[in-house]
Amino acid sequence: MAVSTIYSTQALNSTHFLTSSPSSSSSKQVFLYRRQSQTNRRFNTIITCAAQQTIVIGLAADSGCGKSTFMRRLTSVFGGAAEPPRGGNPDSNTLISDTTTVICLDDYHSLDRTGRKEKGVTALDPRANDFDLMYEQVKALKSGVAVEKPIYNHVTGLLDAPELIQPPKILVIEGLHPMFDERVRDLLDFSIYLDISNEVKFAWKIQRDMAERGHSLESIKASIEARKPDFDAFIDPQKQYADAVIEVLPTQLIPDDNEGKVLRVRLIMKEGVKYFSPVYLFDEGSTISWIPCGRKLTCSYPGIKFNYEPDSYFDHEVSVLEMDGQFDRLDELIYVESHLSNLSTKFYGEVTQQMLKHADFPGSNNGTGLFQTIVGLKIRDLYEQLIASKATARAEAAKA
Amino acid sequence: MMSATASHVRVLLPSHHQRPSIATGSENFCRRQIVPRRFRAMVATTAAAKYKGTKMREEKLSELIVEKVKEATEVCEADERSEGCRVAWDEVEEVSQAKADLRIKLKLLNQDPLESFCQENPETDECLIYED
Repeated sequence: MAVSTIYSTQALNSTHFLTSSPSSSSSKQVFLYRRQSQTNRRFNTIITCAAQQTIVIGLAADSGCGKSTFMRRLTSVFGGAAEPPRGGNPDSNTLISDTTTVICLDDYHSLDRTGRKEKGVTALDPRANDFDLMYEQVKALKSGVAVEKPIYNHVTGLLDAPELIQPPKILVIEGLHPMFDERVRDLLDFSIYLDISNEVKFAWKIQRDMAERGHSLESIKASIEARKPDFDAFIDPQKQYADAVIEVLPTQLIPDDNEGKVLRVRLIMKEGVKYFSPVYLFDEGSTISWIPCGRKLTCSYPGIKFNYEPDSYFDHEVSVLEMDGQFDRLDELIYVESHLSNLSTKFYGEVTQQMLKHADFPGSNNGTGLFQTIVGLKIRDLYEQLIASKATARAEAAKA
Repeated sequence: MMSATASHVRVLLPSHHQRPSIATGSENFCRRQIVPRRFRAMVATTAAAKYKGTKMREEKLSELIVEKVKEATEVCEADERSEGCRVAWDEVEEVSQAKADLRIKLKLLNQDPLESFCQENPETDECLIYED
């Protein structure tokens, strides 16, 4: 998809010649110089055909590549639904929409299931992953070059034949190690880490697995425990690099709650990230504790509680927006939205609208859905700002 | 067997029935299936598989889960701290998540994940229409 900008000044009626400049790989520029003998000024007509800009988003979490909910919310913000590539390998992990392509980093496993068993490494271990290939391909896609990406088949546990991936506007790499390798980290325009606490992870995995014959509470627990050492060593440290961390914890509103139904979700936003302005409540940089339920808004048990404060996270300055509790009704959602600032919405009620669009997704009634939606809007904002700044830079370079 | 554990599961379900019940246009998704909007975690699959290929994957993954859990339990009995033990439970996690992803695909797409593949390749074995 090429966008051409044509700057023309006057009618071209004298000799002109073409040069193409080997500029940045993401844009091709053609310069037409028209010599005007009458005056000293030279009029340049520059036709700039820029291949689309690709931004790369990294999403780290430990729940496979079917982070369908987050991905679907994200792609929905940009419009369109993300689907597996049509007609290709049915076990492909990739999701494609009009604007976004989501790549599962499991595809960069250097060892298949048998290989990992032989070497005695889990999928969490960096030794099971080919970071060189990951870096090369993400770099290629970012600079507008299509790649043949391997496919890791989760059903067979084998590496299948590669699939062709075209460079998209927005490339999301999701998996266990998006921020592990420094070179890949430097390619990311924005990164998110989904930090699920142990209690919530346990509750979610029980919900996921209990209906399967073969699983029991013990097996689910044992699986989490056995993976913990590798997880803590290799995956968890990535959160210090993330621009946004979504932390999911058990609620504090219900004493001794261990069901994991009501959640406390914290959106930890790094300060000073280019094109990213953290969401805030009432007064940026201050500390606020807010319970919207009262005279104007009635909520059912256990209600909703918000917190906002500046903090320090791994030696970075951050702003933390926290929501504990559940939305019960539409008007609670819109009420909350109207009190949040810097949401990067394009119209009033956009967050609520996006949440309603996916009311049947898990997390639609609590902070997980809310913050995932907000992060989606922030990424859209980042994308548009980046495009705008690149266009300005090109225009200025052209004038010079 | 499953009903014995069902009561366990009920306690731990997320409260989907408490969500705002507002028309969202999700009817557009329910072309083929009328699936009750309440979350039914007790059932292993929600939307039904249409093609043989999807049914086969479901069964394969279910069997793999049983197999891998058994394997992991045995390996870890010998030595809980061993690499083999960690790898075995990681495999359990992998297949459990793969099974869940298939379920999610069936539920969210509300169609068989092989739909687009089978449109292009109707004659393959995988694309035989599965009949119960």
